[in-house]
Amino acid sequence: MGESQYSFSLTTFSPSGKLVQIEYALQAVNSGATSLGIKASNGVVLATEKKLPSILVDDSTVRKISLVTPSIGMTYAGMGPDSRVLVRKARKCGQVYYRQYAEQISVAQLVRETATVMQEFTQSGGVRPFGVSLMMAGYDENGPQLYQVDPSGSYFAWKASAIGKNMVNAKAFLEKRYNEEMELEDAIHTALLTLKEGFEGEMSGDNVEVGIVGQDGVFRVLGAEEVDDYLKEVA
Amino acid sequence: MSRGGGYDRHITIFSPDGRLYQVEYAFKTAKTAGITAIAVRGKDCVCFVTQKKVPDKLTDPSSVTNIHKITPSIGMLTTGMHGDARSLVQKARSESAEFKFKYGYDIPPGVLARILADQAQVYTQHAYMRPLGVIPIIIGIDEEEGTQLYKVDPAGYFVGYKATASGAKDQEATNWLEKQHKGVDGGFEALTYDDVVQTAITGLQNVLSEDLKSSDVEVAIAYIPSMEKDGGVYQGGRFKVLTNDEVDHHLNMIAEKD
Repeated sequence: MGESQYSFSLTTFSPSGKLVQIEYALQAVNSGATSLGIKASNGVVLATEKKLPSILVDDSTVRKISLVTPSIGMTYAGMGPDSRVLVRKARKCGQVYYRQYAEQISVAQLVRETATVMQEFTQSGGVRPFGVSLMMAGYDENGPQLYQVDPSGSYFAWKASAIGKNMVNAKAFLEKRYNEEMELEDAIHTALLTLKEGFEGEMSGDNVEVGIVGQDGVFRVLGAEEVDDYLKEVA
Repeated sequence: MSRGGGYDRHITIFSPDGRLYQVEYAFKTAKTAGITAIAVRGKDCVCFVTQKKVPDKLTDPSSVTNIHKITPSIGMLTTGMHGDARSLVQKARSESAEFKFKYGYDIPPGVLARILADQAQVYTQHAYMRPLGVIPIIIGIDEEEGTQLYKVDPAGYFVGYKATASGAKDQEATNWLEKQHKGVDGGFEALTYDDVVQTAITGLQNVLSEDLKSSDVEVAIAYIPSMEKDGGVYQGGRFKVLTNDEVDHHLNMIAEKD
């Protein structure tokens, strides 16, 4: 990766021991539209604001929540083009595993591989870190899981978390509202309520995207009408 | 504290506020070409129009163009640096041909847009290549979906549009398009050939505040001859550049409407 003229890392330590390129990448993430995830007792929900720059954009071509394997999905906050690279790598990783073992990759392993890619871009020559944080959700034999991966490549499993512009308020809201016994339906309602807190304008199925995975282990993105139905229930 | 060593304006690494200056500068380049382009997507036809500025009286005007045919059913309009545009068009043609060879059917416009956008993203992340100073607008016919309009930018961002603009006066054009779109029953997607082309040309006239002659503009369309699907797909989708006579015909219809 990169030509020999750039075989030195662009992400180097500052005198105080910080990797400033990563800090700056986090700035890019924090100015992106809010995304959040909530792990319920029987599933996981991902929800994100779909902030379109104009009414002229054909919103059917915009997908912020991506299917990675049949039981794992991911969303992001930050630079859209960078997220496409990671979605592609994650999808390939899932396929390579399946080809080898004829079994779906586990959530933790997929997250680890994706995080490794992100870390490599903070150390390799001639490249910059990714300007996205990822929210990955899936259901495997260890039950429902939710992970957050940052531009540095560090990742943690979460019960509930938010990334992007409104993450501070969203996380405070989630801390109050979260409980371990929550079921998927409640989690969806809570996710929409949390997004509503920082949302500018009217929330609808056209400017919010929701993805869920339940005990059936099938990750899917809800249709706009389904999201509208849920929104009516929390209004 | 070092500020990226001061290189954050020279190569695509992050600035302290989380921005990529090289990418932002690339956007500015697309405007310095001085021309504006407008594109509108209708039901059976998607059209783009751009100014034709011949820089020098001695140049052969027929060799000056910003519109490029990529496949028989996909065309691309580029605003920005001509050299970068040639490179991009070459890549688009090459990828389309490879797709047709590998998969046996014409590349859908959305897939082509994604390929170009992904390449643009690579330039924003790897230091050895600068972003291209070009914004391509892609119009074409997708066998299954019908008319398609995409715009890709130097950041690697791309989405489908009902209408869009690029170049020097892109903001004014976009504002005008948004107002028009609200005023049409069913939006731009309900329009057919004549209305689509005339809306695009009217938009350009409006934004440039001048009446245009057919020698001042380039107009091209991608259209579906028949909206009846045959075997589940739209047949005969074609990209073509309108001749001066055809452009004059539309300009006359616009003048009559006033």
